[in-house]
Amino acid sequence: MTPKLLEIKDLSAGITESGKEIIKHLNLTINSGETHAIMGPNGAGKSTLSYVLTGKPDYTVTGGSMHFCGHDLTALKPEERAALGIFLSMQAPVEIPGVTTQFFLKHAVNAVRKYNNLPELDTAEFLKLLRSKAKEFEVSADMLKREINVGFSGGEKKRLEILQLSLLQPKLAILDEADSGLDIDALKIVANGVNQWHNNDNSLLIITHHLDLLRQIKPDFVHIYADGHIIRTGGMALAEELETSGYKNYLEASI
Amino acid sequence: MSLLKQNTALFGENIPWFEGLREKACTIFARIGLPTAKTEAWKYSYFKEDALNKPQIDSTPHQCDGHCHDESNLPFLAVDIKYCNGKLTHIAHDLPCGVIIRPLYEAIEDGEIKPYLNKSFDMEEFPFAALNTAFLDEGLFIVITAGTVLNMPIYLHYHQHHDVNRLSNIRNIVVVEKGAKATLIEHFDGENDAQYFDNIVNEIYVGTGAILQHYKQQNEAQKAHHVALNSVLIKADGQYNAFIVHGECTLARTESYVRLTQENAAAEINGVYRLEQNGISDITTNIRHLAPHTNSDQLVKGVLDGKAKGVFQGQIHIAPDAQQTTGYQLHRALVLSDEAEVDCKPELEIFADDVKCSHGAASGDLDAEQLFYMQARGIPLQEARQILIEAYLNEVFEKAKDSAVAEWMKDSYL
Ligand SMILES: Nc1ncnc2c1ncn2[C@@H]1O[C@H](COP(=O)(O)OP(=O)(O)OP(=O)(O)O)[C@@H](O)[C@H]1O
Ligand SMILES: [Mg+2]
Repeated sequence: MTPKLLEIKDLSAGITESGKEIIKHLNLTINSGETHAIMGPNGAGKSTLSYVLTGKPDYTVTGGSMHFCGHDLTALKPEERAALGIFLSMQAPVEIPGVTTQFFLKHAVNAVRKYNNLPELDTAEFLKLLRSKAKEFEVSADMLKREINVGFSGGEKKRLEILQLSLLQPKLAILDEADSGLDIDALKIVANGVNQWHNNDNSLLIITHHLDLLRQIKPDFVHIYADGHIIRTGGMALAEELETSGYKNYLEASI
Repeated sequence: MSLLKQNTALFGENIPWFEGLREKACTIFARIGLPTAKTEAWKYSYFKEDALNKPQIDSTPHQCDGHCHDESNLPFLAVDIKYCNGKLTHIAHDLPCGVIIRPLYEAIEDGEIKPYLNKSFDMEEFPFAALNTAFLDEGLFIVITAGTVLNMPIYLHYHQHHDVNRLSNIRNIVVVEKGAKATLIEHFDGENDAQYFDNIVNEIYVGTGAILQHYKQQNEAQKAHHVALNSVLIKADGQYNAFIVHGECTLARTESYVRLTQENAAAEINGVYRLEQNGISDITTNIRHLAPHTNSDQLVKGVLDGKAKGVFQGQIHIAPDAQQTTGYQLHRALVLSDEAEVDCKPELEIFADDVKCSHGAASGDLDAEQLFYMQARGIPLQEARQILIEAYLNEVFEKAKDSAVAEWMKDSYL
């Protein structure tokens, strides 16, 4: 059995509507148990990569391939990818007026269970699970009753994303700026939540601009991402170096 | 007009005042005829040529082997009344104290209906109400006597079988006397392939300080036509709250013609419609503020798919001396396919100066970001769409005053 969880080969993708290419000949392999970090300038296409992996219709794959646990991702709908175990914590979680957080989470958990031929949780079972997670991520009962993400603060939204990660127990978690807008305590809650979930059978892809989260989640690889692909790979030392020198040297070198 | 030539024997032939009314109605209907695409009030939902040529006026006594005498199986207690194929087949035996419910023809025979029948509208303006008067063949006279507070709704269930393509002209007179409070539910349905035309007129008189909650669920058969006029007069401190739900049907129109005749009278009209095939839903309102300190509020939301069409026409009229009045109106629609269509015509006629009025209209599609967020959490697209549609319409259901009734309507609808 191959430990390869995600294998991206020579991937190119662009905006569906305009055809503008954003991801250009990207290669990246993530094995089970690994943590990868992606850092790169604004507009480099990091969020786009997260959306292409999860199947957002705004983007279209134009070349190359991406496989997850041996499945060709391009052939799968977003909900199938999610049910197979890809989770995306979004840079900007979406507000859904009229749908309460609790209702939404129950549907999500049961949809994933159903896809995987597991019995759906009834309300009592689900609430028990949800309450324990809510406590862990310091999400109040009031927040669970409110409409999902509507009027939540930036930090509250991010905590709720990680609560969802913990509820859904995916195989691959893509965290797109999960650390932005978090206060020091919230960052700890998020990092602890991620670390608790993380084990040798699942993997992380962390997109970030800051070292704080990386210091707590300790990546195995740090990639510098510019103009739609990875231009340099290293370890935590590369991230530390970036913090002092910025992207300038690497961007010039890659031209 | 072929309709007028139908050979019918309707009740009331030997009651001169009533015969006179029928004749007058015939004359008016023969002159104004059916609305066409050029009739302003009907321009979005006019009838195809043959919609009214085929249905027949059925004056034979009711006969069918259906379950038309059974009690309803509502999840709450109610005063059960049933119309089957346009004929009254069941009226609850034990009526609550202070409630009078009689077949209309009885009240016509003894003349008790005289102060109310055709006293709330002008037939010249309502072709279908003229038709309803000309061929009136069934109905109820409902009185909630002064001060009576009903603790259960009155439930009118209208059901149609598929035996004959009939035109049912039904008139209900509802009088809620001074200080009385009542809830009326109207529920229309028909067998799958049934073809018929329901032409309903309700004349509703809300007395001083009285309150009527009027719920209506239209779930007629796909091939059916449904036209209803709710003609409402409200006295001082009286309240009329309508909640209208339209489902599939060839054409369904509910027109609320509401007059706030005295101070502090209030009306609220909420409505939802959801069509996925090729039917037309028309919710038309005309709220007339005729006295100071009167209030009205309307919220109508629709969801259209397939080749369906939604119509909302909302008129708010504020008379010159209706000062310190508020009139709000909002219509929104989700249009989910390219072939679906929504027509919205708000009309404000304000002749007083110290008033607060607003109207709004918007239509759009489901939010792609919201759909993707749900899919990214494993929720299949179809389920995600359904969740968003329910959330969209829920805003209206939440405004219903009676949560048990609202829950029942929602369950049989969403
Ligand atoms: N749907 C879209 N329509 C138009 N342009 C888009 C769309 N999505 C992304 N882009 C453009 O593609 C480029 C990459 O965007 P992306 O959000 O992936 O960047 P990013 O690396 O995540 O940046 P940041 O660090 O600021 O989050 C940007 O120039 C952006 O404006
Ligand atoms: Mg981004």
